[in-house]
Amino acid sequence: MTGLGAVSAWGWGVEALARGLRGGTSAIRPFKRFDHSRYRTHVAGEVPLPLGPCPLARGEWARASWADRFALYAALEAARQAGLALPVSDESVGVYFASSTGGLYESEQYLAQRWRGLKPRLSLFASQQLNGPGDAVARRLGVTGPVLTISSACTSAALALEAAMRDLLEGEVSVAVAGGADSLCEVTYSGFNALRAVDERPCRPYRSGRGGLSIGEGAGVLILETCKNAAARGVQPLAELKGAGSSCDASHMTAPDPEGAGAALAIARALRDAGVEQESVAFVNVHGTGTPLNDDAEYRAIRRVFHDRASQVPLTASKASFGHLLGAAGAIEALVTVLCLRRGELDPTAGEGDVDAALPVDLVREPRPLADGVGLSTNLAFGGANSALVFATWSQ
Amino acid sequence: MREPVVVSGIGTLGSFGLGVEALQAALLSGRPATTEVDRSESDHAPCGARLAALVGRVDLSSWVNPAAARRMSGPSKLAVAAARMAVRQAGLGDQDDGWQDTAVVMSTAFGPADFTERLIRAIAIAGPATASPFHFTESVANAPAAQIAIDCHARGPNVTVTQREAGALIAVGRAVAQVASGRVRRALAGSVEEMTPLLHALLDRFGALARATPELAEAARPFDRRRNGLLAGEGATVLVLEREADAAARGATVLARVRAGASAFDPTASRVGWGRGAARLALAVRALLARLGLGPRDVDAVVSGASGTRVGDRLEAEVLRAVFSETGMPAILSPKSITGEYGGGHLGAAVLAARGGEFGPTAGFEEPDPTLALRPHAGGSLRGGRVLVSSLAAGGAGAWLVLERA
Repeated sequence: MTGLGAVSAWGWGVEALARGLRGGTSAIRPFKRFDHSRYRTHVAGEVPLPLGPCPLARGEWARASWADRFALYAALEAARQAGLALPVSDESVGVYFASSTGGLYESEQYLAQRWRGLKPRLSLFASQQLNGPGDAVARRLGVTGPVLTISSACTSAALALEAAMRDLLEGEVSVAVAGGADSLCEVTYSGFNALRAVDERPCRPYRSGRGGLSIGEGAGVLILETCKNAAARGVQPLAELKGAGSSCDASHMTAPDPEGAGAALAIARALRDAGVEQESVAFVNVHGTGTPLNDDAEYRAIRRVFHDRASQVPLTASKASFGHLLGAAGAIEALVTVLCLRRGELDPTAGEGDVDAALPVDLVREPRPLADGVGLSTNLAFGGANSALVFATWSQ
Repeated sequence: MREPVVVSGIGTLGSFGLGVEALQAALLSGRPATTEVDRSESDHAPCGARLAALVGRVDLSSWVNPAAARRMSGPSKLAVAAARMAVRQAGLGDQDDGWQDTAVVMSTAFGPADFTERLIRAIAIAGPATASPFHFTESVANAPAAQIAIDCHARGPNVTVTQREAGALIAVGRAVAQVASGRVRRALAGSVEEMTPLLHALLDRFGALARATPELAEAARPFDRRRNGLLAGEGATVLVLEREADAAARGATVLARVRAGASAFDPTASRVGWGRGAARLALAVRALLARLGLGPRDVDAVVSGASGTRVGDRLEAEVLRAVFSETGMPAILSPKSITGEYGGGHLGAAVLAARGGEFGPTAGFEEPDPTLALRPHAGGSLRGGRVLVSSLAAGGAGAWLVLERA
C-alpha cells in the first residue's frame, strides 16, 4: 500500500480524518443535504462544505455527482501520495472500485423534479450509474487497464480491495487504485429508517442501549502495488495487505446469521490467506454498525475465531466517528486500520456509555499504543455477504 | 496453479423464453421477441423507442419456491430461476458438499430498478415514512446474488459486479479465476437485469435505444449502416463453473471450457458513451490471447457485444479490425439484436457458439456500413471451436472472454 486518500464527515483529505479519529469525538450531527424534517431521525455523517480543491474542470466538477466528487478527490490524494505520474496511460494500472448507490441522490433529484412537472437536466440522471465513481476515477487518472465496480452493499469496498489484491498477485496489474465512494441519499436514509435500523443519536457500536446505525458518506481510496513494483519506483510502502477472505451467510437478506458463522468463515479465510494465526492479530477494526443484531452477530463471529481471546483483542469501531459509508465502508475502514498501524496507536472509539454486558469486548475508548503487528478489518452486509482484510505493519 | 475451468450448466431466460433451448431457437430464427413498452406514465419522448425484449408474465414456480418468491424483487426471481436451471443441468444436488465453497458472482447494469423507483416515488410523493422496508432490502444491486446464495446455500464469496454492458463478462472472468486458482470449489456466475418503463424511457432520452424512422421500423441493427440504437432487454443468465477434473469426476456433461477473461478501460469515453480508444482496447485483447498461448488466427468465431449503437458498434468494429488485421475476420455473431442488451442473453449465446451449430442471420443487419468494413454472420452453420466474446460498455469499460468447445 503506497497511497491513501479519504473524504469523510471530518472533511476532505486523510489528515482531517486522522485528526478527527484521534480526537475521539463524532462528526455525526444534524445535516443539510436534504430536508429530513419528515424523518424519524435527523443525524448523519455528512461531508462538510466547503468542497476540497476541485480536481476537475469547473463545469465537469459541477456536473459530477457527490459520490463522483468524493471518489475523485480521494483517488487523486492517494495517487499523489503514491507518486503516480498522471495520466498513468499504462495498462498495468487498474481501478477496483465500490459503490452501493453511485449517483442515486442525483437521480432522486431528477425524478422528484420530473414528477413535480419541472424539466430537470438529463445529466442529473447520468450520475445514476453504480459504476459512476469508479469510471470517473479511471477517466481522470487515464487508466487503460482493468476497471471494475463492485456493488455488494456494505462489503463492496472490501471485496474491491480483495479483487485488487488477487489481480496484483496474479500479475494482471502492477498497481491498483482500490476504494469506494457513496453519498447520502433519501433511499438509503428512509430505507434504513423503515427497517428501524437508524439511531436517533450518533451510533454507539457495541455499547449498551445502542439504537442502530448512522448513515455516513465519503470515499476511501488505497493505492496497492506489488512490493517489487514499489521498490522499482522507489516508493516506501505504508503497510502491507496480507490477505483477504469473504463468505456468504446464505441465510437471510437483512439479518446477519445470529450465530456469526458466516462472518467467522470470512475471517478464518482471510487469516488463512494471510498465513496469520489469530493469536497474532493485534486489533480488529470491526464493522460495528451499532444495530443490536449486527454487533451481536459480529461478536459471535469474533468468539468463533478468537475463542478465549475474544474479550481481550482490542476492537475499534470507526463508524461511531464518521458513520456508515455503506459501499465505501470497507475502504475507509481499511484506511483507518492502516493509519493505526502506521502511527503505532489505536484511535479511541467515539461515543459515550458502557460496553454492552452481553458483548464482553475490549472496546478501545482511549488512545492506546500499538506495537508493530497485524490489524484485521471486517465488514458484514445485506444479503449475508461478509469480508475480512488482514493488514500488517510494513517491515522490509 | 491454474486448472482448466468448464461450464457444466447454463440457465437462461429472456424475451425468448425459458431455457437454453428457447435461446437457441430464437438465435436460429434470427428474430427478436419484442414487446411494446408501457408508455402510460408519459416518461417517454413522443417519437421515442417503443419496444423492448421483455420477459413478460412467465411461470417460474418450477424454479423458484413461490413462498420465497414473495420475498423477492423481479431481478431476484429471474436470477434464482436461472441459477436453478443451471444447477439442475449441472446435475448438482442440494446435498452436494461443494456448496460451502461455491462463489456467486453476478452482474447488473442498473440493479433492481422497479423497487428503487417505487422507493423514490414513495419518498417524493407520499413521504419517507411510506418507504417499504421490503422494497429497500430488495433494491440493493446484490439482492439477486444474495438470493441465489440463500437458495443454493452457496457460502463462498458473494460478489455483484456493476460495470454496465461489460459486467457479465467481467463477472464470469473473475469467477473463472477464482475456480481456476482453487480458491473456491465452483462458482455460479452471470448477469441479471429488469427493464422498467421508466428505465427504458430514460435510456431512450439519452439516445441509447433504436428508434423508428420514416423509412425504417424500430430495430437494433448491429454493424448496419442505418443503425441508430440498441434494443433494451431483460432476463437472467447463470453459468455453473467448475474445474474440468471435478466435472469429469462427477460425470457431468461439459458445455464449454472457459480459458480466461480480461478487461480494459478507454478513458476517452464519456460518462454514458463510448470513446475512440480502439487501439488500446485491441492491445488488451491481443494480450489476453497471448497469455493463453494463442493468436488471432486461433479464434474461430467472435460473439460480439455490438448492439446497434452508432458509436459503440464503430468502436467494436475498430477493435476487432485491429485484433484480426493480419489474419482476416472470423465469423461474427451479434446476438444482442435478438436477446436485447442486458440480462445475459449474449453470454448464453457465447456458450452456444462455442459448441457450434446452426444460427440464423443477424437480426436487423441488412446494409453493410462501408466505414466499418465488417459483416456479421449471415446465417448458417457455425463450426464452433474457440470463441472470443466481447462487450464494450458505455462509460469506457470493455471485457472479453475466451471460450472453447470442450
